[in-house]
Amino acid sequence: MVKAFRYLFLFLLSAGVLASCKKTEYVYQIENENLYADNAGKVKVKSDEQYVSILYANLFQEALGANELVRVVRCIRANGDKDLIHEVLVSNFMNRPDVQLPEAEFMRSNPDSFVVDTYKRFLVRYPTEAEKTWFRNYINTHPTVTPEIVYSSFAISNEYQFY
Amino acid sequence: MQRRSFIKKAATATAGAFALPYILPSGRLFASTQAPLAQHVILIMFAGGVRQQESVLQRYLDDSQGMGIPGNIMYNMFNGTPPTAKIVYGTDGFIAGDTPIPSLLNQSLQSQGTLFSELRSGTTGHYNGLNAIVQGNTLYTQGLKQKPIHPTIFEYARRHGNFPASKVWFIGNGIGNSTPLLNYSTHPDYGAAYGANFLAPSIVFGNEGLTYMSNSKVYHPEEELGPMYEMKYFLDKNFKNAAGTLEGIHNTDEEKQNIKEFFKEMYQKSQDGTIAFPPVMDNGDLKTIGYACEVAKWFKPNVLAINMSAVDGCHSNFTGYLRSLHRADHAVGHIWNYIQTQVPEMAGNTAIILAPECGRNLNHNPILDENDWYAFDHSDQNSLRVFGMMAGPSIPSNLTVGSNVQPVGNTVDIVPTMAEILGFKNEVVSSGLLAGDSLSWFDRL
Repeated sequence: MVKAFRYLFLFLLSAGVLASCKKTEYVYQIENENLYADNAGKVKVKSDEQYVSILYANLFQEALGANELVRVVRCIRANGDKDLIHEVLVSNFMNRPDVQLPEAEFMRSNPDSFVVDTYKRFLVRYPTEAEKTWFRNYINTHPTVTPEIVYSSFAISNEYQFY
Repeated sequence: MQRRSFIKKAATATAGAFALPYILPSGRLFASTQAPLAQHVILIMFAGGVRQQESVLQRYLDDSQGMGIPGNIMYNMFNGTPPTAKIVYGTDGFIAGDTPIPSLLNQSLQSQGTLFSELRSGTTGHYNGLNAIVQGNTLYTQGLKQKPIHPTIFEYARRHGNFPASKVWFIGNGIGNSTPLLNYSTHPDYGAAYGANFLAPSIVFGNEGLTYMSNSKVYHPEEELGPMYEMKYFLDKNFKNAAGTLEGIHNTDEEKQNIKEFFKEMYQKSQDGTIAFPPVMDNGDLKTIGYACEVAKWFKPNVLAINMSAVDGCHSNFTGYLRSLHRADHAVGHIWNYIQTQVPEMAGNTAIILAPECGRNLNHNPILDENDWYAFDHSDQNSLRVFGMMAGPSIPSNLTVGSNVQPVGNTVDIVPTMAEILGFKNEVVSSGLLAGDSLSWFDRL
């Protein structure tokens, strides 16, 4: 009987010790933040395949098929000036009916939001305040600028060629 | 007094040493003192491994298949009568290839210019052979799938001739065999900043180009293109300190616009069937030469290099090789005729230089074609035997230099020869980057 109580006591003691172990939740009192890289970390040039795949995904919100990828990359390699051929490709993609572009009205009425979204979509980072201000002012002072023109400028920018 | 004079001279010399290198962006201190012989040079890299026997020696089937049938199947380039039997190299008539393509030139290039009948190539391979032609050097450290190590004629031309990118073109027969790598070198003093515009028409104006490049939007230059570039430059400026710019040649905005308009025009002309193709255009080389003619007409380039390669089918098909050789000659005749008759800005002011990048073997391999003729690879001593030609203003006509027993010249001579024609030979030679035995063909006459 005494032995049984001893076992019961040991069992309860073990259960109590185990139950008392609890992970401490530290609270630092700052808000959660999604982290994006800044442009300083982009030092590797995208391969032709990476550039085309990412461009296509950015413009059409879907992946480019493998066969098409090979064919587009061959177009790039058939030209000496990559800047030039990138512009030509972007322009061709922009001419397709399924390209996913925001409405011009949205860009005009929410320039800050549009600029932030565009930076995140193409450059995978937030704009600095200076960048945001510059683009906001540029959009507001250039009535002929459309989302297509803004997107194109991002897609042919040097930063977009790197990761 | 002497001390004062010394200090004055020393100060002047020091200031000069600092200031002079910045006088010209090309790095050249003074304008060229050599008068160019012509404003434009066409270089044809001909055409994928050519045997001396069937080309300049005009042996046709005599030295290859054991049939006593000699003859000249390249009569736009060489003087000589065509074969009289076993005609297989033409277009199809009653039987395949029985109708030779008529000559396009009233006078052969041999008559119009200078033929180096027995030239040496430093290599038996295509890529190294092409490298030797464009670099003026045969480097044993030059690897395949590697950009040229030493500057190319394109870079010499752009740096010392001060030609913009859109005036220097390299038209490739495709993008295989590392061909696109040849438009500039990795040399630190030259490189991409002085590279040529590379174009592979078979792709750009072929199915792929039609699908992904031909439907470009034409943006308004001020209202759309201007803002696009302004925003791009703002982004580039902010990125400048991170990684810089994309490596490669860069045309100015105006040049890019001009090239885009050229593309548009070519797609339209392709649709209309009005590309300046040769009368016969049944292989890739002939199509390439047609687009090269269009490049010449649109840009009036100072340097236009063209690579042809269909002849290389000789690895497995001798009949096909003869047909390709005949067509390569047709292509040369066509572009030379086109320049003289359709591009007034270049007519009479253009020189043409051509040479194979390598030859082919003396002995055949075991592969037989449809005529039971043996094929030829390129790896032996005979593969180092090639010919070279030049024609144009101030180039001696009807002159043949060298012979079977006395070879004269090398394919690495082409760079100094082109430089002499364009007026910057001294700068190229003094760069110290040419092969030690390279010499302008003019100096070999």
